[in-house]
Amino acid sequence: MNNLLSIVVFLPLFGALGLTFFPAAELKQHRVVALLVSLVTFGLSLGLWFGFDASPAASEFQFEITAPWVPSLGIGYHVGLDGVALLLTLLTTMLTPLVVLSTFKAVQERVKEFMIALLVLETAMLGSFAALDLVLFYVFWEAMLIPMYLLIGIWGSENRLYATVKFFIYTFVASVLMLVAILYVRAHDGGSFDYLAARNALQASGSAQRWLFLAFALAFAVKVPMFPLHTWLPDAHTEAPTAGSVILAGVLLKMGTFGFFRYALPLFPEAALHFRPVIAGLAVVGIVYGALMCIVQSDMKRLVAYSSVSHLGFVMLGLMALTAEGLTGGVYQMLNHGVSTGALFLLVGMLYERRHTRLIAEYGGIAKQVPWIATAFVVVTLSSIGLPGTNGFVGEFLILSGTWLARLRHAPWYAAVGATGVILGAVYMLWMVEKVFFGRIVNAENRHLPDLSVREAVVIVPLIVLIVVMGLVPQPFLDPARPAVDRLLTRFQAVEQQLQNEQPGRPPSVGTESPGLAAALAAPGLEGTVR
Amino acid sequence: MDNPTVAQSGLWLLILLPLAGALVNGLVGRKLGKANVALIAIGAMIAAFLSALVVYAQVLAGRNVAAGGDTWFRVLGPDGRAMVSVAWGLWVDRLSGTLLLVVTGVGLLIHIYSTSYMSHEDDAGYARFFTYLNLFVAAMLTLVLGDSLVLTFVGWEGVGLCSYLLIGFWYTDEQKAYCGRKAFVTNRIGDFGFLIGLFTILSIFGTASYAQLAAAVKGQGIHTVLTAGAFSGWTLGGALTLATLGLFVGCAGKSAQLPLYVWLPDAMAGPTPVSALIHAATMVTAGVYLVARTSFLFALAPATMATVCLVGALTAVFAAAIAFFQNDIKKVLAYSTVSQLGFMFIGVGAGVFFAGVMHLVTHAFFKACLFLGAGSVMHGMHEDTDIRNMGGLKDKMPHTRMTFLIATMAITGIVPLSGFFSKDAILAGALMSENAAFPAVGKIAYVLGTLAAAGTAFYMMRCYFLTFSGKPRTAVAAHAHESSPAMTVPLWILAILSVVALFLGLPRFELFGHWGEIFGDFMHPVFAQALGILHGEGGEAAEHVALWPFAVAWGVALAMGGLAYAMYVGNLKEVPGKLARAFPAVYQFGVDKFRVDELYDLFVVKFVKNGAWVLWKVVDRIVIEGIFVNGIPWVVAQLGRFFRLGQNGDLQRYAAVIAVAAAVVLWVVLGTGAR
Repeated sequence: MNNLLSIVVFLPLFGALGLTFFPAAELKQHRVVALLVSLVTFGLSLGLWFGFDASPAASEFQFEITAPWVPSLGIGYHVGLDGVALLLTLLTTMLTPLVVLSTFKAVQERVKEFMIALLVLETAMLGSFAALDLVLFYVFWEAMLIPMYLLIGIWGSENRLYATVKFFIYTFVASVLMLVAILYVRAHDGGSFDYLAARNALQASGSAQRWLFLAFALAFAVKVPMFPLHTWLPDAHTEAPTAGSVILAGVLLKMGTFGFFRYALPLFPEAALHFRPVIAGLAVVGIVYGALMCIVQSDMKRLVAYSSVSHLGFVMLGLMALTAEGLTGGVYQMLNHGVSTGALFLLVGMLYERRHTRLIAEYGGIAKQVPWIATAFVVVTLSSIGLPGTNGFVGEFLILSGTWLARLRHAPWYAAVGATGVILGAVYMLWMVEKVFFGRIVNAENRHLPDLSVREAVVIVPLIVLIVVMGLVPQPFLDPARPAVDRLLTRFQAVEQQLQNEQPGRPPSVGTESPGLAAALAAPGLEGTVR
Repeated sequence: MDNPTVAQSGLWLLILLPLAGALVNGLVGRKLGKANVALIAIGAMIAAFLSALVVYAQVLAGRNVAAGGDTWFRVLGPDGRAMVSVAWGLWVDRLSGTLLLVVTGVGLLIHIYSTSYMSHEDDAGYARFFTYLNLFVAAMLTLVLGDSLVLTFVGWEGVGLCSYLLIGFWYTDEQKAYCGRKAFVTNRIGDFGFLIGLFTILSIFGTASYAQLAAAVKGQGIHTVLTAGAFSGWTLGGALTLATLGLFVGCAGKSAQLPLYVWLPDAMAGPTPVSALIHAATMVTAGVYLVARTSFLFALAPATMATVCLVGALTAVFAAAIAFFQNDIKKVLAYSTVSQLGFMFIGVGAGVFFAGVMHLVTHAFFKACLFLGAGSVMHGMHEDTDIRNMGGLKDKMPHTRMTFLIATMAITGIVPLSGFFSKDAILAGALMSENAAFPAVGKIAYVLGTLAAAGTAFYMMRCYFLTFSGKPRTAVAAHAHESSPAMTVPLWILAILSVVALFLGLPRFELFGHWGEIFGDFMHPVFAQALGILHGEGGEAAEHVALWPFAVAWGVALAMGGLAYAMYVGNLKEVPGKLARAFPAVYQFGVDKFRVDELYDLFVVKFVKNGAWVLWKVVDRIVIEGIFVNGIPWVVAQLGRFFRLGQNGDLQRYAAVIAVAAAVVLWVVLGTGAR
């Protein structure tokens, strides 16, 4: 039980090692073994889910293991999960088998290497969520780059080399600054490579804290990606194979927002408060800008990529609200985006396998030929535009209301401008649905497309079920995040208390506003009731 | 809200039944065959309608019914206080109960009608149609029965989705698919306003539950000052003006008011039963329902009330004017719906909430009847919708004709049909109303409303005469046939309802000079709080009711109906053609629906699209990609190229550089440079 987390993290890596012993020509064996390994990983990760104690009294990080790794440098193998990391771990282990299954037909060349890359990538992603040591985190973080670089560079489409080099350099350059900041944290008063120790004891001065925050934030902002650091994403997504796009959108982008939640905010709260209006502003710009970019795209994957910029803008806005609602909504929206954008890329991939084009104009009217694909696509679209009853609504509603109620200057304006993303989302997503599925069939090649195969149904149905379940019964997915969210808020409130002692009259900026009508507080049933 | 409330979790059945029907038909309907699909869909509706009757019996007995309250999602902060906490709670009072009956009753009739109307579809299409229709009813009931603004919003978006799916039901037609998308996007603009209103209410009250909101404003005045949150320092009235204006933007989207009405005429691309159910009887009235539901908030925001009233009045006139020029029977009815919705908003905006709701109910009957009649005509006419090609259908389609005539008279406001009572209760109420922010608004609305009523009488009678009177003008019209009983029976039921609904508006004289309509008295508990705010605690509207506005309205209806008769049946037949020829520009402008779509296309759609394109090319491609992303490597490369000049492996040059450098160093260290 104690080692369960480590087993989950490293099982895919061992699976990848195992794959090296299979003959490269046996495509089927590689596929089946990779699928089994990822399924077992998912099964074991359910143990984490059921073993996690989300009560406020439970310890912050569970399944914790500490072991020396490079003691001379103070680097340890320290892993553990809080609720947020737990949810993202589950998202990763759930998506990976589906992705593996989705490649059975799409990937016919170098299957062995492909599966190995996927499994290595899974370990790197799981490790990044689990790591509680800064160097360990950095190692996993950079380790993600290599398999992803290969996935795009080898199995991508025409312009893959440009895209993959761009992806690599963009993210690598930003991460190096984070490494410098990590080294600085270790060298500084009370500093340590151990996350918990550093968070408790770090005594960085105001200006140093700001630089450190910026170094971390830059690495994460590229990964999110936040406007204006987003331009690697459309290229990477467009050129990546379906599996790469799904993992990239589903999990890798969350590394950025997770990084803010886990590292940039709690390690440097003072600096975070300082830069908060800028980041929240960029988040809002990202929401609107990403959506506007979607309107003028002609390539399905590029459109979905820009929509990710918009959706991740929502996540960042929720985090920057520094309210329980906003933070929880942000976490929830990370999951939602993983599920629905993952599903969207899978569906686009299915169309691509049939027609070998991503251009919207090449399609049109195919709903009659592929009614089940069309139905799935519409459901996923609804989730993406946040229709009530789907997961997207819960996330967007929490984020926008949490932002509106934030103790941030002009908070309602951030929320209101962000909410225009709700309109624009409908504009571009429904436009794409209409152009791809509705109307008459003009292109003769679209006349005999096969509908969803059984394998494809197995890939997409779990995601659709999740979309609905997370929309109607969100609480089981919200509850695990609560202790982590509350701890982060409490931490910020403590820092703010200290700042208020130093600068009397500083207005509160953390937490949710009270109702404006004083009498409303006394109204029956308001305090912590079900309504 | 005076009535006691009983809890009954069975209330959820009302929503779950049609939802189950939609699920079954959606997943396996195409394999079941049409008969079974219809059986499932109608079975669900009958069960829902019967349950609704049971619930309504309790409402009539003076009780409210509530259900559930289980958390949907809720976030407790570190301090354990939940500002955002959404529960699955339903609530039936006299207002939502009345709507409940309308939705399930009219819904059931339209389901029955559709079994025949849609019988030409293949199995898959048939199943898809009833899936959407059942789903719509479930969403609409969520909207109506939800006990908080959030649940209403859930239904609000849900009906929007069904509307989108049903307008674009024949999706292989690009134009129809486009109309569906246009409806959805326009509604989303409204929903944006709804969200802003909802968030504002959350930050004022910390709750979105209707009961709690009503409790929270009890005893509060417009001038109460807010003490916390984004609106601290604002007065309650000011903050609520923002909140209710936001909500009203949502209403303008959903209920097709200026300036967001443009989607509704295009929504006629959907199958006609859909137009009847969604785009006439139920969904489009959701905005009126919302204002009535939150009347106690609107009453605290007189500026919003004035806006609602005025927008309603302008819409009523504007849409009626466009309807004059339309020759498509469904388009005439669509603009008429927009116009009638305007009347309802005059009512709720002027503070005669019951009249707005009463018109909602009567309109549901006669407009559903008109649309279904139009559908019947289209069946007879082989899907032709141009009334210029019709004529003389009265002999071919007697049932359709009689029911259409009754409904036309009802909407026209001819005594004693239901439309007269509901419409004129609105107009008379508006005339008597006094708005604190804009005192003249009631009078203006009365004048505009009366104009619109005159227009209604004319264009509806014109539509009726062109369709049914005279001689057939085309061969198709000459060979038209009556529709099946599955279609005519619902027509008759709705026609009868449009007549007997008049009893809702009957005046009730009682001792001590109390005066009110049956429906007004019935609705009194719902609106008592709002009326108390508007007219002082315990007070009522000034009750010196004059009868002359009613007489005026009646006269107007008769006169305009007569004029239409003369111009399209009688002696003045040449007049319409002459007028059109005399003012061709005006005529064309009217036929083109005042070119509002083109205006929006130019200033909104093109603006956003081109703006996005420019942003993409300039910011994304040139500034970020060109200058930064590829520019920095380019600079590095150039620097590298420059330094490469010194690294070309030529020994002589290295020696020369070393010599020069040594000289410079020596000069700096030893020579003049050192001083």
